Amino acid sequence: MDLEILNSAVRISTPLVFAAMGGLLTYQAGMLNIALDGFMIVAAFTAVATAYFTGSLELALLAAILASMLLAALMAMFNIKFRAHIFIAGTAVTFLAYGLTALLLKGVLGQDGVFTSDRIPTFPVIHLPGIENIPVIGEIFSGHTILVYVAYIFVPIVAWTLYQTKWGLQLRVVGEAPEAAAAAGINVDWVKFQAMLLSGLFCGFAGAYLSLAYVSLFANKMTNERGLIALAAIFFARGNPYLTALVAILFGTATALSVRLPQVTGLAPQLLQLIPYVVTVLALVLVGWRTTRARSRHSAWRFDIG
Amino acid sequence: MSSETTSSGPGMAVLNFCRPALQPIVAVLIATIVGGLLVLALGENPIEVYWLLISGSVIGVPNLLVTLQMMTPLIFTGLAVAISFRAGLWNIGAEGQMLVGALFAGVVGYAFPMPWFLHLPLAILAGFVGGGLWSAIPALLRVYLGVNELVVCLMLNPIALLLTGFFATHVFKAPGPTNKLPDIAPSAALHTFSVYSQVNAGIFIALACCIIFAIINVRTVRGFEWKIMGLSPRFAYYGGINVPRRAIWVMILSGGVAGLAGAEQVLGQYGAFYDNFSPGYGFDGIAVAMLANFNPIGVIVAAFLFGALNGGSGVLQMMTGLSKYLVQVLQFITVLVLAAQFSWDWLILRLFPEPPPKSPTPDAVEPVNATPTEA
Repeated sequence: MDLEILNSAVRISTPLVFAAMGGLLTYQAGMLNIALDGFMIVAAFTAVATAYFTGSLELALLAAILASMLLAALMAMFNIKFRAHIFIAGTAVTFLAYGLTALLLKGVLGQDGVFTSDRIPTFPVIHLPGIENIPVIGEIFSGHTILVYVAYIFVPIVAWTLYQTKWGLQLRVVGEAPEAAAAAGINVDWVKFQAMLLSGLFCGFAGAYLSLAYVSLFANKMTNERGLIALAAIFFARGNPYLTALVAILFGTATALSVRLPQVTGLAPQLLQLIPYVVTVLALVLVGWRTTRARSRHSAWRFDIG
Repeated sequence: MSSETTSSGPGMAVLNFCRPALQPIVAVLIATIVGGLLVLALGENPIEVYWLLISGSVIGVPNLLVTLQMMTPLIFTGLAVAISFRAGLWNIGAEGQMLVGALFAGVVGYAFPMPWFLHLPLAILAGFVGGGLWSAIPALLRVYLGVNELVVCLMLNPIALLLTGFFATHVFKAPGPTNKLPDIAPSAALHTFSVYSQVNAGIFIALACCIIFAIINVRTVRGFEWKIMGLSPRFAYYGGINVPRRAIWVMILSGGVAGLAGAEQVLGQYGAFYDNFSPGYGFDGIAVAMLANFNPIGVIVAAFLFGALNGGSGVLQMMTGLSKYLVQVLQFITVLVLAAQFSWDWLILRLFPEPPPKSPTPDAVEPVNATPTEA
């Protein structure tokens, strides 16, 4: 029973980890990308539609990633080239994506609200040869789809890229001091554009995972604010990749518990679902309180808040 | 802001007069064209579809009444967002503030029976207070702890949804299968006019709010101070405006107006607080405010447009193979285009060739003349 919860926590956390890695890159590049949900829903829809028409998982995954990156490019174009406020652009792109997928669901697949079919293939479950037989660990970590493992492998890759490569350094400089980056000869807009595209890439994985591996259907607004939870994890961890992934897993576990625990304790599921958001607000309050105390008492109003 | 000081001539005067309307019209046109192409790709005739949208929303009294019903919450949320955006505060938490306001109004509406002339105002006030309290959280955190109000608003939206859901399912739940509060007492109900739609007296409150804020914005020192804050908080601060204090009150007022949207929904449209009743009016409010360019009177026009689209979308869904979400697509393409800082001057010059004005930054110059005397 307990192990089953942990096993499902690994699965539930997977899209959160994907989305968090995507949001992390933009966060480090100084952009707060709140359109993660929008990227994911478009990817989820494209994945289901492609899988339905072609029957190929590889094509579906590829199409999902491309669609998500296309939307990311649109967002980047409006934010970076046309200087739209990132939150307004993000909100618009998210709701545009919700509306567009719902519209196409009806227009292309002929369904209202939910679409599922026997013709949609799903990702096969992988049993890890050595690990499967270890008592506790095997039950938690074995028997997932390939995308689950891909998600967790991405975490060290992202961390390595950010802190060990030249590109990662450029990205972080662009995020922390864009003027300095420009002075050092970095093409700030181009780096930001790349970060946003990669954000789309990761959300493409997340969306495809949601609609083809986690479940095998598409439903309107099926991302269920997972992008927001991922964003909460990033904020809580202040952009550290490993910590972000860990927090995303904890938030995922809380979600897993919110499905199971009410049956046991009679606790309202809403109260457990609140955890990621409340914890994030509290973390922001704590950080704000610390920096305010460290600051001079006279600067009553900070004008530029990142 | 206009660059009237830099260029002269009768043509330019006309242009400056039309200018506030030009930007929204171009944005709506672009959205219409993109949406039309989308409709074409889905195998329907765009002209037919747009005609259905228009005829289904404004032609005939029943359709018009539905449009008025749809536009009422949009006026409130649009105005709420417009108030805060104009003052440079990014309140994107109108959805949560509306839900909390609705819960407050719903509780007062059913739990404290009293004569109607006390009950109705109190229930409406409760909605305002609920929304205001909810928006006070990001406002206070922003001012005293320097926490980004956008992120807090963003997180408070799902918190409000889950908390009100918790109250509707576990604390005040009405007997029966639906997750809702008990029905409000008749003494707290907003009067409904017609059997065709749920349009109610709330629309007059909404219009009144718009007019009040239009007057505040144009005629009072506060309204002027909010505008300066929005243009440049640093300038406003050195100009002697108590920016933190104003910021808190702008946010609370903005949240309160969003809470009124919830009160209208509960007291007028549904007659009780239902869990998860909002289809996203708080976010649509962002679209309304952007289209109105944060002008309270413009909010009425923008809310009418989007209310009509929402009203017509029901007809669209019945008559064609398209989904009503076409309207959402149109709405947020408009927002995206409006959010872009296109060179609108360039556009104007392309449309009406004139000698180019040679002012680099008209925005920064304009407010300087007026400040010291008023603050």
